[in-house]
Order: sequence, then structure tokens, then C-alpha cells
Amino acid sequence: MTRRQTIVTYLVVVPFAIFLAFPFFFALITTFKTNLDLANVQHSPYTYNDLAGKLHWDFWNYATFEHVRFLFEDTNYPTWLLNTAIVGGAVVAITLLLALPAGYALARLAGSWGQGAGVAIFLVYLVPPTLLFLPLSRLVTQLGLKDSLWALILVYPSFTVPFATWLLMGFFKTIPPELEEAALMDGASRLKALRLIVLPVSLPGILTVVIFAFSLCVNEFIYAFTFISSSEQRTISAGIPNDLIRGDVFFWQSLMAATLIPAIPLALLYNAFLDRFIKGFTGGAFR
Amino acid sequence: MADAADEVARAGSALTRSDLLRKGTAAAFAVSMFGGLSDRALGVYGPLKFAKKELSGELRIMTWAHFVPAYDKWLDGTYAKQWGEANDVEVKIDHINNALLYGQGAAEVAAQSGHDLFWFISPPASFQKQAIPVTDLVQEVSKKVGRMARVARKSTYNPKTKQFYGFPETYAPDPVQYRRSMLQQAGVSLRTWDDVRQGAAKLKQLGHPVGLGMSNEIDSNMLLTSLLYCYGGYIQNEDNRIVIGQGANRRGAIQALQVMKEIYTNGMSDEVFAWTAASNNQAFLAGRLSVALNAISIVRSAEDSGNQALSDDTWLASIPRGPVQRLGNEHVMGVYLIWKFAKNKEAAQKYVVDQMLAYEDHFVQSKFYNFPPWTNSVEGGFKTIRSLATKDPHKPKGKYSILTTIAEKYTTNPGHPGNSTPVMDEIYNTFLIPQMFAQVAQGKSSPADAVSAFATKAQQIYRKWHNQKLV
Amino acid sequence: MEAQAARWTPTRRRWRHALESRRVLAPLLIAPAVVFMVLVVGVPLVWAIYLSFTDAVGGSLSGHWIGFDNFTNAWHDDNFRRALRNTLIFTIASQAIVVVGAAVLSNFLVRDFRGKWIIRFLVVLPWAAPVVLSTIIWLWLLDSLYSVVNWTLAQLHLDHALVWLLGAVHLEEGAQVPLQWLGRPNLALVAITVVHAWRILPFAVVIFIAGRASIPNEVEDASLIDGATGLKKLWYVDLPLQLPIALVAVLFGIVFTAVDFAVVYILTHGGPFNSTQVLPTWAYAVGIDSGSLGAGAAISLFLFPLLIVVTVGMLFFARRAQVS
Repeated sequence: MTRRQTIVTYLVVVPFAIFLAFPFFFALITTFKTNLDLANVQHSPYTYNDLAGKLHWDFWNYATFEHVRFLFEDTNYPTWLLNTAIVGGAVVAITLLLALPAGYALARLAGSWGQGAGVAIFLVYLVPPTLLFLPLSRLVTQLGLKDSLWALILVYPSFTVPFATWLLMGFFKTIPPELEEAALMDGASRLKALRLIVLPVSLPGILTVVIFAFSLCVNEFIYAFTFISSSEQRTISAGIPNDLIRGDVFFWQSLMAATLIPAIPLALLYNAFLDRFIKGFTGGAFR
Repeated sequence: MADAADEVARAGSALTRSDLLRKGTAAAFAVSMFGGLSDRALGVYGPLKFAKKELSGELRIMTWAHFVPAYDKWLDGTYAKQWGEANDVEVKIDHINNALLYGQGAAEVAAQSGHDLFWFISPPASFQKQAIPVTDLVQEVSKKVGRMARVARKSTYNPKTKQFYGFPETYAPDPVQYRRSMLQQAGVSLRTWDDVRQGAAKLKQLGHPVGLGMSNEIDSNMLLTSLLYCYGGYIQNEDNRIVIGQGANRRGAIQALQVMKEIYTNGMSDEVFAWTAASNNQAFLAGRLSVALNAISIVRSAEDSGNQALSDDTWLASIPRGPVQRLGNEHVMGVYLIWKFAKNKEAAQKYVVDQMLAYEDHFVQSKFYNFPPWTNSVEGGFKTIRSLATKDPHKPKGKYSILTTIAEKYTTNPGHPGNSTPVMDEIYNTFLIPQMFAQVAQGKSSPADAVSAFATKAQQIYRKWHNQKLV
Repeated sequence: MEAQAARWTPTRRRWRHALESRRVLAPLLIAPAVVFMVLVVGVPLVWAIYLSFTDAVGGSLSGHWIGFDNFTNAWHDDNFRRALRNTLIFTIASQAIVVVGAAVLSNFLVRDFRGKWIIRFLVVLPWAAPVVLSTIIWLWLLDSLYSVVNWTLAQLHLDHALVWLLGAVHLEEGAQVPLQWLGRPNLALVAITVVHAWRILPFAVVIFIAGRASIPNEVEDASLIDGATGLKKLWYVDLPLQLPIALVAVLFGIVFTAVDFAVVYILTHGGPFNSTQVLPTWAYAVGIDSGSLGAGAAISLFLFPLLIVVTVGMLFFARRAQVS
């Protein structure tokens, strides 16, 4: 790139990055603020002040770790993180189990009605959870899953599978049929071809689905809140608003910390896989 | 009992990190693998096994996360355990954010399964078909401790079905909390709403405006309803018909709207439209607001904040008088429902009755937030309550005494002079009252038009519930 | 090969033959997914549709049939109409911002420059954080008293200028300092739109980058040969090629924004005075909080047909654009 192009690039990219990341940067600062410092309107929110509102060069002496400690020791936060990971992992596995064969079938085997069926399946995703959570509550209770993570593991695929099936369908269509033809001619069965030839090639597509499905699970909270009433069984999206917002009182600093802790690793992960993810998406989506 | 003390201590104090990780991880893993064992998981609230004894029954209670956290600690760790042991029942209490109680309730009804006792922060009239009537329990308690307070009776009795659909557990009066130094400095009195109207501008000039919310949240709902009462702008009449659109009620409502508009224009800022239930607390504790109408969580938080000056300067007062009367809404009306599908109805019924026969501890442990729906549940009635309140050590001495006066004389139920009907429930939950006030305050509607629009909507809601034969 | 053939018995061969047949294999592979969705989504959806034609209350699962009353009542309620209007406004406005922003940002993110990895990490953050939690951060950023946005504006002495500007463009007349981002109706609309755009932007950027990566190199070379560079290239070559992917990004964004409940619920709870209600939050207020379950179901369902039409339309369009 020319020097001019580089400058222009930075001029565009940096403001975007600032806009997108600023809330997290600010959350990071707020996490370590003392209560009296936070409550004082005159104090600068960007740094740590003493009681009189003055700044010091050794600002870390006026910050506190108390709210992070509170989060980890006086709430069920570690449990919630674990629960979220468990639910996410299980749902991703179920999603792949259901969506991979379905997507493949729709791409390869369904012929003319494949495209239409794929879109129809995607439309299932549009049904609002604020509507469904009541009858699903009954279903969950009758299966004896109330108050357990299994309730979420059962219900979440209802929105990850439509999404994933449609994505994978698009993706499989981009794999040249010749690959499988060759294997079939060699006498392998369809299923074997699927397993040995197609799957390895579609790793980017699978990665796409994994990231999307996991992200959908972590974000969901209506079902998470309704199906599970006891604090120690909750996921982070349900547990944090419930336990860190006590009616009149927001535990702001702990809330900030609670958001940063999953967000940063996930962002690192998504970023690391971004290139492979892009390959996955390019293949699929709209063909 | 050593074990009991251990359990209480553990539930009450912070678990060490390794404790929590160990228990939390193990419990979570067990739970996720064996859903049916979820009940057996350990948690910070509601320990399940009492000492070494296996209790024969189980009572599951859903309630709110109390605005005074110390109360929940005591309730779960001491009261529930003791009651459970005495009655051979394992008591498990879940707490959720008060805004989400209705959603949770709806889900349990849809599932026809859930907790035995479900607590609501305001009379849950819309759910009454799903609960067993508790008229017999009410009579039992009344026989033992005397008549129930009017506010509780009107909140939980349905004249159409002639039954008490819910068991009242507590109510919280809604006092004015103000910074005495600021009001003295500005020369403002809070005796009447007219005083407030005139004083608001002076306080704003001082940099410390009054904080009367017009937002989509519970504080605003309650205070604006109280304002309507003071001006005689009743929404319902004694027969639960919608009357706000006509006659004296209409005039009163229009007056109230005008007063609020003036107070806002001269004495408040836009923030009052953006509030959550916590915002007026925060603004008051930050030293910004001079006046707020809220349950005592503000003044109690001030005491806990470590800001002695602020706490000493925070005084309580009753709601200002309007041209018609001095009357306020309760801030919280806690009502228990016993679901039709509750598994342990007997334990539920005994629990609520027992609690009401000896309410003094609840009153004290909640730092006077929880007032008893049967006044004599605290032995000695209002006399004892007042003396307890007056003895509160925080400065200025005796400041909580006015709370008793408010509870005794100036507190009523939503829907006064009628009952707390599902119509009122829906009006509150769709925030039609703050909407009406805020539209007028921000100049988007004239008071007359706003009242008419509100009355029309209220009528529609009335028709809907009338067809359900609930009102 | 022959040993294998020898192992096959006649019955086994028949089974394998069956499994090879498309007519058997296709439904077999699709069946688990479909069965699952019918049970977990289909049945509740049918029940919800039934509910919207009844007067069910209080979480119960049935009521009396009242025909289209819920729908007509909703239509005549101005709070409902405002919710519908807001849903459309938020969706269209935020996605317009997202498309433009993503198109621009993706263009530069595919270049190589120092610090690219860090920038990408920062860009992806809003997408990685759970929506409930990141919205709570925004709640704090826009707090009525402690908003850091207002504090910063005040420090830069831009606050009064902004108030004047808002009045000048007739967006908010008579606003005061500090600006109530969640307390004045139009500012709240802006704030919510910004938050929606903020959280969808990373996602759209990634999709756009994927789209660029799929432009074959021959096209690049061809356009160089033809002398098309800069803006001309952008207009005649890049944009048309990116259209299909852009449509997909917009579609996802529309779906995510239109059905969103969390952002509005947490930031304003539908206020100030119900002026930022959207269909999901209004449906919840009426159906769950107020107990009018049938009415709430009807409100929820209003958006569904619209979304179907939009989805099918866009997918169809995208396919056509791609083929051409």
C-alpha cells in the first residue's frame, strides 16, 4: 500500500474501532472504581479519584478490586459461566448432529424442493421467543426438566438448527459434486462419501455454524430466565441481571466486570478463527 | 444447635472462593447431568437439608429480591429454617428481580407446575383464576389478631367472586424523603402540593431539584397515583367502574396534571423521564435530589453508604396534602398466591398464617420496610410499631415515627376507592399513568385530552376484564 | 474390492440400495431436524396462533374464541401503532447505518496494515458480548445522571452546542443539559438505533469481508485492464458483485433487530411514556405483565408475516443478483 493509502486506512479504521470498543474500554475502567468515587458526579469517570476528587499519578491506589471479588465470591458467577459453557457446547453438538445431515440432504439429495425447504426451515427462526416461552414452559415441566440446564439444551436447538441447516445447505452446495461422484464411482456409499470426503472439506462451514450457534446460545435470555428459577442453575444472561440488579440497586462495577469476562475471550476466539470463518461464509449463505 | 448456627453463618456470610467453586462446579455438573436432582444442589439461598434430619415435606416459595438485602438473608437463613424445622418441612425460597415476577408467574401457570407460594409485588388480580381462594385463611388470622387493614382488604378481595384471591403478606408505605438542609436553605415546605409546586423552582435554582419520576417504572406509577388521589382524580369508583373521565374526577385529574407540568417545567429536568426504579435512589444518594417519593430504601441506603452527613440530613415526611385530601398509594403490596397446582398446599397455607400471627420480627428485620397487613400481627398494633420505629438509632431521632402515621392514616390501595382489580393491574403494567403525565409535562398533549385518552383506554381494559367476569 | 463384494449378502445389498436412493436418504437425513422443529417450535407456534384468537388471561393455556378482536383492538390502540412504527424505524434506520458502515469498514479491513489484528479484535467485541450484558453497559453509558457521554461532551464544551443543533434540526426542541438520552422520546429513538447498529456492525463487517473474498481475482484483473479504478470501480464493479452478500447481511440484521426484546426492555422499558415500545416489548407488557395473554399473542404475531415476506423476498432477490 502506498503511504497515502495507509494513512487513509487508519483514518477510517481507527474511529470505527473506537466507536465499537469504547463501551468495553469504559466498562474496564468502571470495574475498579470505588463506590464513593463512582457516585460522585463531579469526579472524572475515566480515572480513579480520591475522596476530594483529585487525580493522582499513582491512580491504582484509588482503585479497588472489591467488586470483582464480590462477583466471584458472593454471587454464583463462576457457576453461571460454567453453565453457559455447558449449554453452549451441548447445543452446538446437537445442532451439528441435526443440521449437518439435513443441510447435506437439502443441498444434494432433495433436488428441486431443496431450496424452498431450506428457506422454510430458516423461517422457523423468525418465531418470537416472547411468544413461545409459555407453551415451552409447559413442555419443559412435563418432561421434568424444569430448573435444569437440560431444559435449555432441549429448547435452544429450536432456533440454532433452522439457522444452521440453511447455512450448511448453502455451504454444501458450493462443494463441487465431482468430489463425491469420484468416491461414489469407487463404490463408496453416500453416507461414507459424506463422512470421508465432504466433512473434512466443509470444516470452515462447520466452524461458521459453531460460532453462530454458540453466539445465539450465549445471547438468549428469555428461556434462560423462565425455565430456571434457582440462582445456581442459571446461565450468565439470566443470572447477572437477576442477582446484580436488586430492585433499587445496580451493582454497576460488578456488572461491568461480569460482561468483560466472557466478552474478551470470546472476541479473541472469534478473531483467531475469523479467516477460517470467512471461508466458511463465502461458501454458503446465498447460493 | 451447632449445625444450625453453622448453616446460618454460612448462608449469611460470604463463601470463600474455593468453597463456591468447589460446590458450584460440582453442583452444576451434577445438575446438568441429572436434571431431576436439581433440587438437591447447594446454593447461597435456601439450604435444603436441615441439620442431619431429612424433612418429610417440601415448600417452595418464589419471592422478590427484597430492596433491603439484609431481610432476605434473615428470611432464608433464620426464619424459614426455623419454621421448616418446627413443621417438618423443607423450605426453599427463590428470589428474583421484582420486574420479572409476572413473567415467571405466567410461565408457571402455563406449565401448571412450579412453586407452591408465589409472591407478587402488587395485587396480582390477573392471576386470580389460577390460585385457590384464601378466604378461610384470612378469617382464621382475623379471628386471632383482629381486623385486617383496609389497604390489604381492598387489595386482595374480589367483590364479584366474594373471595379473597390472595393472601396479603406486607405493604410498604410511601413516604417523602427529603434533604432538610436544602429545603431550609430554599425556604420550601412540603405541607401541600401547592407548596411543592412553588418550591420546586427555588430548589432547582439551588441545584437540587425535586425528583418525581414520570418513567416506565414502579416508583413513578405509585407516586403519580398518589398525586391523583390528593386531587380527587380517582380512576375507579367504589364499584370498580372507570370514572376518571367524568365530573369531579376529571377535574381533579386535570388539576393534578397541570400541577405536575408546572413542577416539571420550573423545577425538574428531563431525567425524570428516563428513570429506572433505582434512578431516584441514585440521584438522591449522589446528593443531587432534594426530594423523592419512595419507600424507605433510599434513606436506608443512605445510612449504609457511609455518608453520615447525607444520612443525618435525610428526613421523612408524609405525602403533601392536595385540595381534596392527603392520601398516598402503598409502594409495595406483597400478596401471596397459592397456585391451584401447588404440590404442598397445606404447608403453604400454614406458612402464610403462621407468618401473620407473629409479624414483629419481619417488621424489624426489614428495617421497617414490611408493614403488617393485620396491624395487630405486631402485638400492640400501631402503638408498638410506632415505638419500635421511634427507637431507631439513626439521626434525627424519631424520624421513622412518621412512617407509622403514614401507614395508619395516609396509605391506601391501587384503585382507591375501589378494589385492586385486574384493570388496575393492567393499567400499571402498561404504564398508562406515567404516560399520561409525561405527555402533558412534555407539552405533547393538553391535560384535558390526556385524561380523555386515558379514560378511553381504561374503559377498553375494563370491558376486557369484565368479559372475564373478574370485575 | 472383491473381498468386500463377497461379504455382501443379498439382504444387505437391498438395504444399501435403499439407502442410496435419494428418495429414501433425503427424508431420512432431514427428518431428525424437521421432527425436532415441529415438536419444539411448530406445536407451540400453532398454540400461540390459537391463543391470539381467544381471550385467554393470566398465563392459562386456553380461553374463549373471540375471532379477530385481539387484532382489531390492537390496531386501534395508539400504543400498539407506535410500537409497530418503532419496530420499523429501529430496524430500517439501524440497518441502513450498518450497511454503509460495514461496506466502508470491510473495504479497509481487507488491506494489510500494522495493528490489523488488534483492530479486528476491537471490532468484533460488540458481537462477542452477550446482548443483555452489553446493553447494561450502554444503560450506564447513557445514565440519567452519570452518563459518560454527557460528561465528555461537557468537558469538551460541546454539550450546549449539541443541544442547539438538536433544536435547529427540529429533532429535540427545548432539550436541556445534560441530555437525557433515554428520557426524551426522539433522543431515545436515536440511542436505541445506535445501540442496535453498534451490536450488528461487527457481524455485518465479517459478512462483507467474506463477500469480498469471494470476488474472483479475474474480476480484479479485468477491471484493472479496463482502467476502472477508485470510485468507478466501486460503483460499476464492486457494489454489484457485493450485492448478494450485502442483502444477506441486511437480512440477518433485520431479523436480529426486528425480533429484539432485550435492548429496548433494558434501556428504556418502552419509555419515555411508551414512546419507544416495540412489538416484542409491548406484547410482553400486555400479554405477560398485564395478563392479557390472547392480546399479547396477537401483538407478537403481527410481525411474523411481515418478516416472512421480507425474508423470502430478500433471499430470492439475492439469488437472482448472484446468478446474474
